[in-house]
Amino acid sequence: MKRRAIIAATMLALYAVLMAVAWVIGTNKAAESTNAQLDYAVIDLHDTVAGAIDTMLGHVARTAVRHIGSAKPMSLERMAAGAKELDIDEVNTVDRSGRIIASNDPHCLNVMMAGDPVMEPFMKLTNGVTATVSQPFRPHARNPAMRAKYLAAAFPGGDGFVQVGLDERRLSRMLPSILGYIFDEWLLGRTGFFLCADADTGKLISNPSRHRNEARTLAEAGYDAATAARYEVVADGRHYGTTFVQRLFGEKCYCRAFLFGGHRFVAALPEREFYSARDAYGIVFGTLLFVVLAAFAWFIDRVSSDSARLRAFYAAEEARRAKDLLLAETIQTSALPSAPPESPYFRLSAAMTPARSVGGDFYDHFPLDATHYAFLVADVSGKGITAALYMMTAKTLIKDALLAFRTPAAALEAVNSELCHNNPANMFLTAWVGVLNMETGDVSFANAGHNPPAAFRKGEWAYVSAKSGPALALMGGISYEPHQITLEEGDAIFLYTDGVTEALDPSKVLFGEERLANALAAVKPPDPSSLCNVVRAAVTAFEAGEAQADDITVLALRRLAAPRIFSRAFPPSIDSIAVATEFLDEKLGENGSPTSLLPVMNVMLDEVCSNIVKHSGASMFEVDVEFLPNPPSVKLTFVDDGVAYNPLSHKDPDTSLSAEERPIGGLGILMVKKMATSISYIRKHGRNFLSVVKDFA
Amino acid sequence: MTIRSQIDGNKATLSPEGRIDTITSPELEEAIAKIPEGVTSLTLDLSHVDYVSSAGLRVLLGAQKRMGGAGGTMTVTNVCEAVRNVFDITGFSSILTIA
Repeated sequence: MKRRAIIAATMLALYAVLMAVAWVIGTNKAAESTNAQLDYAVIDLHDTVAGAIDTMLGHVARTAVRHIGSAKPMSLERMAAGAKELDIDEVNTVDRSGRIIASNDPHCLNVMMAGDPVMEPFMKLTNGVTATVSQPFRPHARNPAMRAKYLAAAFPGGDGFVQVGLDERRLSRMLPSILGYIFDEWLLGRTGFFLCADADTGKLISNPSRHRNEARTLAEAGYDAATAARYEVVADGRHYGTTFVQRLFGEKCYCRAFLFGGHRFVAALPEREFYSARDAYGIVFGTLLFVVLAAFAWFIDRVSSDSARLRAFYAAEEARRAKDLLLAETIQTSALPSAPPESPYFRLSAAMTPARSVGGDFYDHFPLDATHYAFLVADVSGKGITAALYMMTAKTLIKDALLAFRTPAAALEAVNSELCHNNPANMFLTAWVGVLNMETGDVSFANAGHNPPAAFRKGEWAYVSAKSGPALALMGGISYEPHQITLEEGDAIFLYTDGVTEALDPSKVLFGEERLANALAAVKPPDPSSLCNVVRAAVTAFEAGEAQADDITVLALRRLAAPRIFSRAFPPSIDSIAVATEFLDEKLGENGSPTSLLPVMNVMLDEVCSNIVKHSGASMFEVDVEFLPNPPSVKLTFVDDGVAYNPLSHKDPDTSLSAEERPIGGLGILMVKKMATSISYIRKHGRNFLSVVKDFA
Repeated sequence: MTIRSQIDGNKATLSPEGRIDTITSPELEEAIAKIPEGVTSLTLDLSHVDYVSSAGLRVLLGAQKRMGGAGGTMTVTNVCEAVRNVFDITGFSSILTIA
């Protein structure tokens, strides 16, 4: 709300300033416009009146030329009668030499025009071409108080001319007929008007139609001659006076006035008119300005609130992204097998370090059956939650396919086909999949566009450069080539994603395969957990603080030994214990067990089997004898389908009691627990599994 | 299981051979039961016994109680390491008189 108040206040202030400026400019423009209108009006008025007088005098002069006929002397009487008939003040007949040879004024007879500075212009009429010559009103030669205008028309062939003269005081008779039209028809603005009055008496000879009969004199109309005198001029074709203010017919007007032909002409434009124009424009401008500023204010408000909303949106988006990343990372890491497998035949260790923006790396490992173990690493294209979800799908598909098809090549073909079938996001992934035969050490594998793993064989590391198929989900109908390498006991294989080899140091140098090989070679013996830790540490050291760009995934597997396991099942009788003991002794003897171990092993077998036979109600029991290489040890597993019974859950009997106080019972399992290196119990599939490990040492 | 038995007045000596386990301990138990009343000193010579399981311990405990109840003594002799280990684990080392 505070933002809106600031915008509104700013806009109102801007509006006030702009309107004030507009008012000043508008007032000036109105004054200029008024002045210009009055200027045009008075020039037009003067020229029109003067032109009308010229036309009239021309007509009179040409009529006189026709009547007189030629430049010849005529009596004063005839000339006077002619002047009266033509309603003119003076008529002179001038011969070719410029002498007045006939006139209605005896003083004019024989006056020589040629050579007279005032009259000389008329002599052009004797050139045979010029038809009429006119002069403006000017003081009369013999009577300076009088002003007269002369116009002359030539006789045919320039043989002399007739000059007619008009006393301006006679103009009063002619003007109404001229001005009536002008004053009625002409427009001066919308409400402007013209006035004309006798210069001496102030008697109006015309009234503007709007104020007809309201006044008989200029003074009655409100014209203050004393004030106006400073601004009026005698019009001469160049000067028409300057604008001044008068109150006419009760209204303040801007006026121009000039004197012409003994009359005072006034053009008046009511102030109201141009102010109303200015005000009308002002209203329009003000409204438009208001609309524009309001729109501008609305726009600014929108922009600023948009930016506030955008900031909020970005913050929310950032939070959402962070949540997405966390979710993706959770999906990614929770999808990984949680614990390395516990197997006496191989060690496996794996780790994935997600990049800050969560990639799509994953690894997986799981048993296919008792002798085959699958392991793989994969890298899904893209990052974030989409990649994480795609990873889940791919991981499930690969596992299902491996369990169904059992060989990496067939599994990858099936997975690829399935992924290509429905891949709207155009994701893809690379994968290296291997299956270890724990008995033979054979690793069958197939590669879908993934980095070649490194293998430790015959005491040295080398990359497994077998031909790779295309990445998964790129195109359907692909078959993947099956490959195989063999890991002898102690050999290892190291799988990784490109997050390792493409890690960058601060100068953008790649970690690369050579550095990886060197890091691997430094680990002796190639224990899987050490391999993973050393490589990850080497990458971290190489990056030297540079942000990790991609997920880093490592998986190492080392083959320990071929499995040696022997099983036999027995019916639940006391006699079976003896048979089982023989079986155990035989296997111990065959597999290099120290003879010193025999009694201990026999006691343990006796104790467990006698418990099963006597108390479990089992329909059979099984004894598994398993020889473990690391450390050399033997593991006995007793399986029975009797009642669930965990011998380890019982409290040990008190062995400090005297012979009389001793209950007999619980001693057997106590002995087993004390003799064994480790012992464990599990109930699954309706059977009891009790495992006892005894180290050879 | 072979058990040699030698009775001399109020002294008796039993020498089992092999394992004293779930299967053989009933035989030892029987042999001890056959020792006549009046014997106050019983010696178990374990020099030919490979090991003793908890079933055997039960028999030994029973013999110990019988001799003790009659005011006599029972001595276990020539105990091999495996058997000694069993006695130690089960606390029998402190119950039995081992010579």
